[in-house]
Amino acid sequence: MRGPWIRLGFLLLVSPFVFLLQREAAAHDPPSVAKGAQRREIRLPVEDFSLADQTGKNFRFQSLKGKIVVVSFIYTTCPDVCPLITANLRLVQERLTAGERGGISFLSITTDPEVDTPNVLKSYADRYRVDFSNWSFLTGEEKRLQRVWKIFSVKVERKARGLVNHTTLTALIDRKGMMRFAYAGAAPDPKAILEDLRRLLRSQ
Amino acid sequence: MLIHRLSLLGLLALLLAGCGSSERMEKIYAERCLGCHGPSGKGDGPTAASLPNAVPDFRQTIQRRSVSQISGIITQGKEIMPAYGPALSGGEIQDMVLMVRFLSRQDRSLEWWERFGPLVWAHCSVPWEVVLGYDEPEEGNKR
Repeated sequence: MRGPWIRLGFLLLVSPFVFLLQREAAAHDPPSVAKGAQRREIRLPVEDFSLADQTGKNFRFQSLKGKIVVVSFIYTTCPDVCPLITANLRLVQERLTAGERGGISFLSITTDPEVDTPNVLKSYADRYRVDFSNWSFLTGEEKRLQRVWKIFSVKVERKARGLVNHTTLTALIDRKGMMRFAYAGAAPDPKAILEDLRRLLRSQ
Repeated sequence: MLIHRLSLLGLLALLLAGCGSSERMEKIYAERCLGCHGPSGKGDGPTAASLPNAVPDFRQTIQRRSVSQISGIITQGKEIMPAYGPALSGGEIQDMVLMVRFLSRQDRSLEWWERFGPLVWAHCSVPWEVVLGYDEPEEGNKR
């Protein structure tokens, strides 16, 4: 009979401390729109496509068959999430061992072909100190890009020149051309991507 | 006489400072800069906490830079800051320069605004861009 009263008393005693602790934790949380991305495991075949890379050369997705590919969608004048995506993927690239680098490629595909010419993409990548040995930045005619965005279910909506709303997708594709992991959101965690990449490297 | 001279000096100082902030400048700042630089340019925008590098406070960095240096950074980008040159018109870049310069001078508390708000408002009502001459954005880039 005394049990519920003891529990209630305990709750009444403890709850102010829990409330204070939560408030303290919230006060230390930096204000951020980018609290990581949602990770999903999927199995989706990726069709071949061809675009132009940052040097203007033709690039075919099929040419990466046998490699694990990290695909992201960005545009160079993006004022919020794209810098986080590219910076985090740059960290992933940096943390790969020399042996791992040979088996992994990165593709950043623009969502704003009107502004993002090969030269503009090259300058963008240079500012992030990207190693181009396994990372290409892709652009092309709007029609071609629309097909690529559709393949990856990326929605793109132009708001103004150099200002685009788009799905923030980072996808990991296995050696057989199958999308296996999808990170939807602003800042895909480099640690989680590295773990998934290593899992794909081990599994095939 | 002294009061007249002081008022003239005050007016001149306001003129030199320029109002800085117009609706157009605030809009472009909100769309392109606020995410990282924050509403008052202190580097505390909602995205700033997630960036690998700290975002500078305009009040500490802009004062030391010339207009062409600021314009150069906005046009060509810096590290992970986007290069707006390929996307924006000269007028829009100029709007950004003026806005960041305006914010760099802002270290004013709410009390300051409450006290001097009407004066600033009166000063800001003068269309300085017309009086002093101002680059309008190209027709194609007007929104």
